[in-house]
Amino acid sequence: MYQKYQNRKYRYIAAFCMLGVCVLGIFILNICIGSVRITLPEVVRTLTGGEDTEAARRILWDIRLPRAAAVLILGGALALSGYLLQTFFRNPIAGPFVLGISSGAKMVVALVMIFLMGRAVRVTSADMIGAAFVGALLSMGFVLAVSRKTAGMSMLILSGVMIGYICSALTELAVTFADDADIVNLHNWSRGSFSGMTWENVRVMAAAVAVTAFLVFLMSKPLAAYQLGDVYAANAGVNLRLLRAGIVIFSSLLSACIVAFAGPVSFVGIAVPHLVKRLLGTTEPILMIPACFLGGSVFCLFCDLLARTMLAPTELSISTVTAIFGAPVVLWVMGRRDGGRGFT
Amino acid sequence: MEQYYLTAKKMCVGYEGQSLIRDMDIALAKGEILTLIGPNGAGKSTVLKSIAGQLGLLGGVVYLGEASVSEMKRKELAEKMSVLFTQKVRAEMKSCRDVVATGRYPYTGWFGVLSQEDNRIVDEVMELTRITDIGGRDFQKISDGQKQRVMLARALCQEPEIIVLDEPTSFLDIRYKLEFLSILKEMREERGLTVVMSLHELELAKIISDKILCLKGEYIERYGTPQEIFEVDFIGRLYGLKEGGVVRDEKFLAYVRWISEMP
Repeated sequence: MYQKYQNRKYRYIAAFCMLGVCVLGIFILNICIGSVRITLPEVVRTLTGGEDTEAARRILWDIRLPRAAAVLILGGALALSGYLLQTFFRNPIAGPFVLGISSGAKMVVALVMIFLMGRAVRVTSADMIGAAFVGALLSMGFVLAVSRKTAGMSMLILSGVMIGYICSALTELAVTFADDADIVNLHNWSRGSFSGMTWENVRVMAAAVAVTAFLVFLMSKPLAAYQLGDVYAANAGVNLRLLRAGIVIFSSLLSACIVAFAGPVSFVGIAVPHLVKRLLGTTEPILMIPACFLGGSVFCLFCDLLARTMLAPTELSISTVTAIFGAPVVLWVMGRRDGGRGFT
Repeated sequence: MEQYYLTAKKMCVGYEGQSLIRDMDIALAKGEILTLIGPNGAGKSTVLKSIAGQLGLLGGVVYLGEASVSEMKRKELAEKMSVLFTQKVRAEMKSCRDVVATGRYPYTGWFGVLSQEDNRIVDEVMELTRITDIGGRDFQKISDGQKQRVMLARALCQEPEIIVLDEPTSFLDIRYKLEFLSILKEMREERGLTVVMSLHELELAKIISDKILCLKGEYIERYGTPQEIFEVDFIGRLYGLKEGGVVRDEKFLAYVRWISEMP
């Protein structure tokens, strides 16, 4: 009779298999496709140390592989951070970009970069994450202050968008006064791009994201209780204050990782959790957390592939592509809110 | 001295340091049903939240047995007390059974996976609350009366010693009201469940309660058995239905008198 809630296990298994296959498939496409086409057998031969041209090895090992690995990690982190924020604010269109968290992170990173470069100090990956984290927390603080005052969902989004604009304006201002050489560098990054990833970057982001994502996964039980509403979460014995602090810190940290390496990327954080939720047919955090990560990876790998190849050799900014695919999802979610129950 | 299960001593409740009701003394034995009555805005919900430990006390102590609620571990309190407040559970993409099963949270392990024993209790409680047949339906698509019963099942799944309910029967039709209260009575008789709730239906409060607490103004207006509380004219005084008020219709006034006089 109520098919929807029966045989759920098979649906979950199928969904995870599908996500896994998609990640793998698009990852391989990302490695193979580009200005120089490399077939899969060539890739295998090159990476296993067969005799191949130095050029192919360079392209694969120094450019495409680290980039694809970075997209995989950061895409997952971005979707997960969006999921956490949506859960936290109980707001279906919350996300690091909409709430101005990405812009806040970007601003502090830009300031730190300009400051350090002006003194000819090398900026490490860890410095960037640290700076982005501080910026993310700053924006988050503002948004939290606003959300305390007003319960309305539109006010929350509005304040997030305004904070985003303010931070972007301040970033522009800082860039304008910086030296010429840095501006180019900063400008490319600040529009959002996965280009120029090094293995050193990948190592740092992998460590940061893996630890954070693992801790988030450990919080899946209290998160599930939190979804029921404050009253019932408290009645289930959840330490709400601790849980809230955890969500704020971890989502900011995940957002910070993305901004530090790829700049702000729009819509992934909002769109992916909704698509994944539809795919799984559940909102249980224990399933949503890993599925969102995989979904974010798929989404970003796909978008980055398009960004690189659509107008090659010109590269599009990643947000251009994610917006094309992500914004309709947001509109669809907003549309459903009128008829659908469950959001207040 | 009689052994009480729920005791409040000099309890002061309110929001942000502003006390609403002061010096409340409550004593309730195990398996008794306490009902809070009083006009809208008298602070019934505030008192219930304070007893449940969800709102900090501004003074005094609430004890469950020997232990002070505010000093108990969260998990320990969750295993002893469950709540059903006016906020509905948010349940996106959850079946009714899923919602009921959330009551097992205090008992499940780190990842919240239900054991066989947990599943057995969920099924048993659903049988008891007569919602087994709607277990597979989407929680958001059932009627308010059904929702309230699912919520009760959720609370009972927690295997509490005491349950705190805020206006659980408002918005239910007469059948659902009576069924809901019957389940509470059953649980009290079978498991010695202690019940603290607020009701707007005075006649029902009179029938079901062992103790009644009347709230109006800064202190407890009255606390006692239904027989002590429902004396002639008291309801009229508690709710401000004085002579020459807005309510003049003789039939309405007769209704108020009838509540006091009914057996």
